[in-house]
Amino acid sequence: MKTALQIACKEFSDRFRSGWVIACTAVWLGAIALTSLFGLIQIGKIGWQGYERTVVSLLNLVQYLVPLLALLLGHDLVVSEREDRTIALSIASGVSRAQLLIGKFIGGCLALAFPVSLGFVIAGVVIGLGAGRSGLASFIVLAFSGLGLGVIFLALGLVVSIFCSTRVQSLVAALLVWCAAVFVFDLVALGVVVSTRTNEATKQIESVTDAMHVNAIADMHQAFESGVDNVPQAKPAATKILFWTLLANPVDLFRVINLPVTTEARVPAPVIPLAFACWIALVLSAGFWRLRRLDL
Amino acid sequence: MNSILQFKNIQKRFGSIVALNNVTLEVEQGSVLALLGPNGAGKSTLFGCLLGLIFPTSGEVLLREQDVRDSDRRSFGYVPERISLYPQRTVWENGLFFAKLRGHDKHELEKQLKRVGLYNVHDRKVSQLSKGMLQRLGLAIALCGQPKLLVLDEPFNGLDPVLLEQLQNILRAEKERGATLLISTHTISAVENLATHVAILLQGEVAATGAFAELRTRYPEQASLESIYHAIARQSRNAKPEEIAA
Repeated sequence: MKTALQIACKEFSDRFRSGWVIACTAVWLGAIALTSLFGLIQIGKIGWQGYERTVVSLLNLVQYLVPLLALLLGHDLVVSEREDRTIALSIASGVSRAQLLIGKFIGGCLALAFPVSLGFVIAGVVIGLGAGRSGLASFIVLAFSGLGLGVIFLALGLVVSIFCSTRVQSLVAALLVWCAAVFVFDLVALGVVVSTRTNEATKQIESVTDAMHVNAIADMHQAFESGVDNVPQAKPAATKILFWTLLANPVDLFRVINLPVTTEARVPAPVIPLAFACWIALVLSAGFWRLRRLDL
Repeated sequence: MNSILQFKNIQKRFGSIVALNNVTLEVEQGSVLALLGPNGAGKSTLFGCLLGLIFPTSGEVLLREQDVRDSDRRSFGYVPERISLYPQRTVWENGLFFAKLRGHDKHELEKQLKRVGLYNVHDRKVSQLSKGMLQRLGLAIALCGQPKLLVLDEPFNGLDPVLLEQLQNILRAEKERGATLLISTHTISAVENLATHVAILLQGEVAATGAFAELRTRYPEQASLESIYHAIARQSRNAKPEEIAA
């Protein structure tokens, strides 16, 4: 573990020196502050929103930006060292491939968690001072689930970095993963629902798109105002499909955790950390499987 | 024979290319083995198998009769053919990172940097070092902790005569300390006075191996290691490796 931590510290320090951590903090802090200040500008309101409204406004930002940041961070963790041949000296110094993988992962997590957490903490304090404490719990849930989402995508980026042999390949693959998780997955899921269950399709689409984010016209703020009773309820069959769909994509899982008004297809609370942990474990296992077969 | 290291029937294929074909070698404790061969003969691949960088398709590498583990490699020193370090970090930071990976502290690094004459530039970024300085830094990292086994891949490439002599002196001192040295090189003359054993790899196969003195008696008409190497290379074009080694 000591060796893995040495690698992690070096990785974090490299990112800090390169300006990544500071730039990321600035971007993240700015995004949260602007969202909180101008999130309701379309309805003519400017000013600090409370935590609950900020969470609703931040959902899209987090689900797009955090996976992207994590993939960009993770995509060159291993491949850059392979291209530069520095990895050879580490392995020849007695570092096992498992230690290398864990060290890189922890280092990447630190480099991601630092700016994201700092952004949430500073913005959280400012929002609290400006708009009161109401809804703090939902903001904390958003912060932790956003961080969890980032860690999963960091692991995905790391695995992409292990499977690819050049930085360019890895960058392209990481962007494809992002597109697939954020856009393509939901379109395909909806397509499957529509094509296989035509009778119930309409109601299911209403249900599914409410939990996901394909439906661009879905007015989440309206849902926030009107409460659970006015949201279309799904049939049990649709609920089951939706449950598994949500587990199969961490972005959807993140969204369903944070929606102020969710569909019937809630993911039970104990399943959520388990699903996040399974995702991380599965992805890292795939990375380790590949790394232990890789000639360096 | 008191062998510290054994390569047993190592075969490595990269797709259809056979990089190593049933390579069997034994390395005696405290010896200096010069691994000679042309480009593409498989020298670096063989070192890669020892260092855990490359997985042999078949065969095994044994350290004192047992499979080499990751933790065993902490007692190895390795100087790669192309020294690749972190360019935006200083000499000291690079050295300390790799020294700590092998469980050594800053005092040991300081000692080795002084030994190779780099301590005065320890705060310089690696990107600002000359090739010779980089080579010395690689050597300093490898020497940390008095390694039992020093693996040097083409260590004499691109060195000026002064640096070459300095490196030879350091390697001689390591030999006298009792370290086992594996040196692959094209600069055959540079290892002539250092090597106790020689192995010649040609097209992924061992063309000849044995103690240097033994090779000298086998090829009495050849005056130098370089001429012995050329004689064996010429022979191997028409004969099987086993016939030469026999």
